[in-house]
Amino acid sequence: MLRNWHLPFVVVLGFGLLSGCSEPSEQLRIGVAFETLQTEYWVASVEAIEAELRRRNIEMIEAVADNDANRQLDQIHILIARGVDGIIVSPKDSMTVIPMIKAANRANIPIVIYNRPPADNDGQSVTVVADNYEIAKATVEYMAERAVETGRKYKAMILIGDLGDINAIARRDGFDDAIRPFSDIIEVVARVPTEWSQDKALSGVTSALQVNPDINFVFASTDFLFPPLISALRTAGKYKKIGEEGHVLLGGFDGDPLAYSMLVERYLDADGVQDVYFDCAASVDAVVRMHQNQIVESIIRDPGFVIHQGNLEEKAGQMWGAQIARSND
Amino acid sequence: MRAARWNVSKLGLTYAPALLYIGVVGTFGILSPSFLSIENFLNIFVQCSAVAIVAIGMTFVLLTAGIDLSVGSIMFLCSAIAGVSVVRGDLPISLALLFMVIGGLFCGVVNGYFIARKGMAPFIVTLSMLFVARGSGLWITQTRAMNLPDTFRQLATTRVLGIPVPVLVLAIVLITAHLILTRTVFGRQLYAVGNNPVAAERAGIDVPMVLIAVYMISGTCASIGGMLTLAQLAAVSPNLGQGRELDVIAAAVLGGASLFGGRGTAFGAVLGAVLVETVRNGMNMVDANPYVYPVIIGLIIFAAVFLDSNRHRQLARLRKRKIRTEAS
Repeated sequence: MLRNWHLPFVVVLGFGLLSGCSEPSEQLRIGVAFETLQTEYWVASVEAIEAELRRRNIEMIEAVADNDANRQLDQIHILIARGVDGIIVSPKDSMTVIPMIKAANRANIPIVIYNRPPADNDGQSVTVVADNYEIAKATVEYMAERAVETGRKYKAMILIGDLGDINAIARRDGFDDAIRPFSDIIEVVARVPTEWSQDKALSGVTSALQVNPDINFVFASTDFLFPPLISALRTAGKYKKIGEEGHVLLGGFDGDPLAYSMLVERYLDADGVQDVYFDCAASVDAVVRMHQNQIVESIIRDPGFVIHQGNLEEKAGQMWGAQIARSND
Repeated sequence: MRAARWNVSKLGLTYAPALLYIGVVGTFGILSPSFLSIENFLNIFVQCSAVAIVAIGMTFVLLTAGIDLSVGSIMFLCSAIAGVSVVRGDLPISLALLFMVIGGLFCGVVNGYFIARKGMAPFIVTLSMLFVARGSGLWITQTRAMNLPDTFRQLATTRVLGIPVPVLVLAIVLITAHLILTRTVFGRQLYAVGNNPVAAERAGIDVPMVLIAVYMISGTCASIGGMLTLAQLAAVSPNLGQGRELDVIAAAVLGGASLFGGRGTAFGAVLGAVLVETVRNGMNMVDANPYVYPVIIGLIIFAAVFLDSNRHRQLARLRKRKIRTEAS
């Protein structure tokens, strides 16, 4: 039974609901769902997406799943229920993102996959991803060419990422294919699985250096693993600057602030850089264009680049880690 | 003859985990001779020292039939506190280390209070602490990696009488824990609470205080584990300690601790941690296919726990007195 004093509340509630449902707000709202914010790369990515959205006067609704694919799927459902105009998702892996794509497709909401491409599926989405294979290959090729210049023989080690991560596999394959033509002077003696964990990397590198103390060529599949690598090399007395006796040829992947510092201090020979600013701008642009029913290519590849001692000044401006390192100084 | 066979069976079953360890060491020793060097064994102990110390703390908790899922996050939070104190606050390292221990102790007190005084399930309380501690750590570091001064790393690389400091710290924690468990009233109370909390309470044991104490010990051990990890890495990374709770529980259970309480030793926890690290180290030494690592480690954990559960059943059977009934 509706009493008289209920009436004003009902009217206000009704107006509220109607205004919320029938009048679409002019400002676009994009949901940004990240699997984790637990490395500087992901934080830099979210910040770059936020800056790009702000520049375009688009509201951002952020969700972080703390490494939990199920939670991320829930978050996607919530974003859909909140009626966002588009979704940018950085998924945990290539498989768990498929139901998210399907859910967004059912709700007719455009979805962009950031950094980790989905496995084959019949859903509609756009993927923005760095060319992990090519960037890693170019980085290791640069290192191998430096090795050739010295005229010495090399023993190589690779720190492999999580074997369930398609990007880790692409980087490992890039390393292998770059090394193969130089097999007469570079022998791969250690493949350390790290699962993207610094503890496991430290343990693995320390053991590998014990059995092969003459390792002098190291590629880390992510700059995130540099702290344990440096620690192990220091303990073994092998952390030397370029040009110093006993320098270990070092390469990495990502372009984070520590890698930039190591390049500046001449400990690091080369680093494959994912162009975060390009990736984030391309993701925002793609989701907006999809919302406007424009045709967008299904994969947008970030060619990335290799930064090394020869082009440090020229390329530092494009390296996201350099921007952070400089802003911290 | 039967007595000799009985003795061999009993001996084999009693030392099953140690025999498994010897088997693992022997196998890797054959595959890679440098595996058997003293330096490599010291390396194994250094690498597993953090997990072993946290596993000792976890054993105290498991003895009371509890569980502490927050240890990995406490390691991270304490490391973040130390990192911020040293890098941003310019505080001396000794003070940062003190803050770490206080941080671990505080998290343990909070866990223990809600479990013992409010009767909440350890799983839920420590799971909540897992999120709170990791979130707080990320908040105060703003997810930025922090590189610590090289003096911090010297904590991990310094040797006293040829023994690395992390191994010495592990030895001190191990002996202290062993003495507490075997030579003190508190130790006996722990086993009593784990075996039957109701009977323990009736016997006059202050069960809530015992529970609070074990979570304090676990939190403190987690902070010390964080300290050693931090000293080895000389950097606070945002995923430090992530997933470590599972390694720690596995080490404690491998060492003979029961998830149902009342069983476990400090030496067992260290043996469990050393076993897992030995396998990992051995596979690195022989440059095993990276895909094989989790399979082998999983099989070893399964074999150890299977042997242990069988061991207890068989030992109980062997010890059972055989009484013959007279034919009527």
